Amino acid sequence: MSRRRDARRWLLAVGVGLVLVLTACAEDAPQDTLQPKGPEAQTIHNLIVPIFVVAGVVGLLVFAAVAFVMVKYRAGKFHATDVPEQVHGNPKLEIGWTILPAIIMAAIAVPTVSVIFDLASKPTDAMEINVVGQQWWWEFDYPGTNVVTANEIVIPAGEPVVVNITSRDVIHSFWVPGLNGKKDAVPGRTSSITIQADEPGRYMGACTEYCGLSHANMRIVAVALTPDDFDEWLANQETAAAAPTGADARAGLEVFNGRGCGACHMIDGAGVTQQPQVVPLVSGVAPNLTHLMSRDVFAGAMFPLKNPDGTLNRPLLEAWLRNSPAMKPMYPQGGRGMPAQGLTEQQIDDLVAYLSTLK
Amino acid sequence: MAIVEQDRPAGPLALPAGDGEHREREPLGVFSRPVHARGWRSWLFTVDHKRIGIMYGAAALFFLILGGVPALLIRAQLAGPNGTVLTADQYNQVMTMHGTVMIFLVVMPIGACFINYLVPLQIGARDVAFPRLNALSFWTFLFGGLFLNLSWILGGAPDGGWFSYAPNTGVVFSPTHGMDFWALTIIITGIASSVGAVNLIVTMLNMRAPGMSLMRMPIFTWMALVTQFLLLFAIPVLTVAAFLLFFDRRFGANFFDVSQGADPLLWQHLFWIFGHPEVYLMILPAFGIVSEVLPVFARKPLFGYPFVVFSGVAIAFMGFGVWAHHMFASGLGPVSVAAFALATMFIAVPTGVKIINWVATMWGGRLKFDPAMLFAIALVLQFTLGGLSGVTHAIAPADTQQTDTYYIVAHFHYVLFGGALFGFVAGWYFWWPKVFGYKLNRTLGLVHFWWMVIGFNLTFGFMHILGLQGMPRRIYTYADGMGWNLWNMVSTAGAFILATSFIVFFVNIFVSRKHKTHEVDPWDARSIEWMTSSPPPAHNFDEIPVVHHLDEFWYRKYAEDDDGQLVQIATGDEVYRKELAQAEQDHAAEHMHMPSVSYWPIVFSAGLPLVGLGMIFNLGLAVLGGLVSLVALFGWVLEPSVAPEDSHGPAPASEEEAVSVG
Repeated sequence: MSRRRDARRWLLAVGVGLVLVLTACAEDAPQDTLQPKGPEAQTIHNLIVPIFVVAGVVGLLVFAAVAFVMVKYRAGKFHATDVPEQVHGNPKLEIGWTILPAIIMAAIAVPTVSVIFDLASKPTDAMEINVVGQQWWWEFDYPGTNVVTANEIVIPAGEPVVVNITSRDVIHSFWVPGLNGKKDAVPGRTSSITIQADEPGRYMGACTEYCGLSHANMRIVAVALTPDDFDEWLANQETAAAAPTGADARAGLEVFNGRGCGACHMIDGAGVTQQPQVVPLVSGVAPNLTHLMSRDVFAGAMFPLKNPDGTLNRPLLEAWLRNSPAMKPMYPQGGRGMPAQGLTEQQIDDLVAYLSTLK
Repeated sequence: MAIVEQDRPAGPLALPAGDGEHREREPLGVFSRPVHARGWRSWLFTVDHKRIGIMYGAAALFFLILGGVPALLIRAQLAGPNGTVLTADQYNQVMTMHGTVMIFLVVMPIGACFINYLVPLQIGARDVAFPRLNALSFWTFLFGGLFLNLSWILGGAPDGGWFSYAPNTGVVFSPTHGMDFWALTIIITGIASSVGAVNLIVTMLNMRAPGMSLMRMPIFTWMALVTQFLLLFAIPVLTVAAFLLFFDRRFGANFFDVSQGADPLLWQHLFWIFGHPEVYLMILPAFGIVSEVLPVFARKPLFGYPFVVFSGVAIAFMGFGVWAHHMFASGLGPVSVAAFALATMFIAVPTGVKIINWVATMWGGRLKFDPAMLFAIALVLQFTLGGLSGVTHAIAPADTQQTDTYYIVAHFHYVLFGGALFGFVAGWYFWWPKVFGYKLNRTLGLVHFWWMVIGFNLTFGFMHILGLQGMPRRIYTYADGMGWNLWNMVSTAGAFILATSFIVFFVNIFVSRKHKTHEVDPWDARSIEWMTSSPPPAHNFDEIPVVHHLDEFWYRKYAEDDDGQLVQIATGDEVYRKELAQAEQDHAAEHMHMPSVSYWPIVFSAGLPLVGLGMIFNLGLAVLGGLVSLVALFGWVLEPSVAPEDSHGPAPASEEEAVSVG
């Protein structure tokens, strides 16, 4: 008897410990699906948590039943020649436990269907952002403005934003778990979802449809700004890049143009007028760099562009310009990703000087 | 024993025929039948369903290593953030091959191993309906699997994932020949599955022992029947999809070319119309195994046999109507999403019925915890977890948070590994003494069990948490600071524990094989496959049993006494000896005619990978491969149904002798 009580105490301790460990670990997971940061994600959360509870209870009942049976009916307790009653079934009971899960499922189905339609309805006169996935980074353009940016999707906090998602090459999936569930970026189709962040902040996300070589390095940061900060940000994004003044920055612009970087990267107003060369179904387009320095990450949100104190993370950017395929698996010979440029150290310094003027 | 066992065929059903009823013409040279009754050639040319079943199992275990090593590489790469064990390209190949090999070359063939071996024995047949086709299925599967693995050394393995979503698998985005190998493997192994399905359905519907109505058919055979229907209807869809993909890649067709107006979701629909029934056709044989094992070790009949049968059928039917739940995030629109969410939820009902019936089977029994029973109970519990997480995917809005994360990886490993594979291991421990004449060592079996349960749950249990913490699937690396480090490390440790548990299993086979006892009925079993010798003779039964009950064998051993108490009236061995004596009396003067071995199934199958290689590298080679298969078909048609009487060597003294060479 006391042995059994000990066992129970053990189980309790292990259970409590497990819960503590699990919850402690969830706190520093920036891409956690169980920490909704906006109403859409909250709606999903409110739907799934009770279902986790129901599933947990059902699971516990099955485990408890099996444990009970295994203890109570183990052969060792009976005489070896003892033959149990040959019970072939009990139709009434069985009909009962066919109907019971059907009722549970029906109860789950009602709120599920209602949430499916809720989430599918588009808010009227919400701001829209077009999202284009491509190997292996995200482009965001703001309809009605000339703003095209990459990797960081900047939104006003506290407002619903409709994102229209498509792809230029293979299927990707746009996912910022704090703000809503995921939606695939399918070439030739546009799907829309609504996202909203209640508070200003940075929310981590990622491409979640396997999209080839660098799928793991196709991340997203959603940056929510207060409405005032957002207007300021948008106004800044709409301005063209100023002509560089310093000698090294001017040299950097020459490198940029001389090397044909503009064939893929666009910089508005800096004498770089080529439109991005859209190669159908192959990512020939690269991030718009007009306001590169307004972003905190680069290369598919894989690397920090800034140090924690807000200054430029120069070594990483230089390394990228030196040999980008060594830092991120890409397929430049197939037109996907940035090829190694073979720049001299002087050219790299100049380019960095120029790029850091693109505020 | 008066029955003379000879390799002389007498028609496909191999019924006993009178002697000297027909005179055969002398067959022509190459079209004569091989006569090897032992040695390696007897295995290459065999048409015996038992040998084919054993070969399915052995081949699947070989592929388990080829699919398991990639799994360990994946876990080594993901043990910590920014792993450097594999490059991105290597990881994508390894991940694709792990999934493809495990599904098409391990889990499905292990199912085929059990079904081939057991179904004719469970229904009291001498073999399957078309023994040569059965051999063709096996060799086609084996050569298809080897063909796929050739891609490692011929320019790179497939890298598009086992699901091969278009357009990422098009030649633009996957320029190596890997995806060509993948598509052709799907087509080749699809031939094996479709042919096998037809063969086994015919066998089960037509060749049952006298008295065995459908509702007296052992539950494993029932699940096998359902599985074969799933294969029959699901595999052709995948074959079509693989053809479309291959035509896109090789001949520039535009099925999935978006710039030509194609819709890449076409691939997803085709793939998952196959893919979801596929899930059930992998798990249902394991459900059948568990439904056989639990009653034997509880000494009680399966609780609610008709409910278990019909829930299996219901699962299969509904399994064809839920495919789009793999596509909740792909932009189908709320009406489709709602419809498929509801259909998915209701598939939980028949699944739940099975689980409760298994618990009820054990309730009131006399449970003996041999390894087979423990693996079966582990299946019940682990599959319950997998089923419950499956229900959470049916909540479509929640699924948009879970899909393509490690939560899904955890879910389907609980179903396919914690479910299907645990069931298969239970089946191995259970039927091993029947197949090979010796029990697997119990102590080593218990070590194997606990090691595997611990390894499995460590590997996959915490992936639920990783997924809920937002870790996407199919990523070759992850950054530090995402909160994923600890559980990934635990999972990697678990994976290596899991891998070593299989070493314990192989050691157990090696150690135990010295202790042959040839016990007819080591577990006090219930169905008629136990009513023959261990291992069974080539003709399965000396006397085909006449079936009066669902658990025929049990009711020949146990009967009610005058007080209505169930008492043992005979041991399994006594029942078997009685049958033997009956056979002696009834058929003493007869010859048993079994189908002869044949060269042509393996020759036909050998042509297929040549066609595949030819389609990729050189069309001339494809023509050659086609000719090989064509010649095999002519040989198949023209070979005599009967080998000349005098060409036989002496029949093997016992089947054990013939089996022991393998």
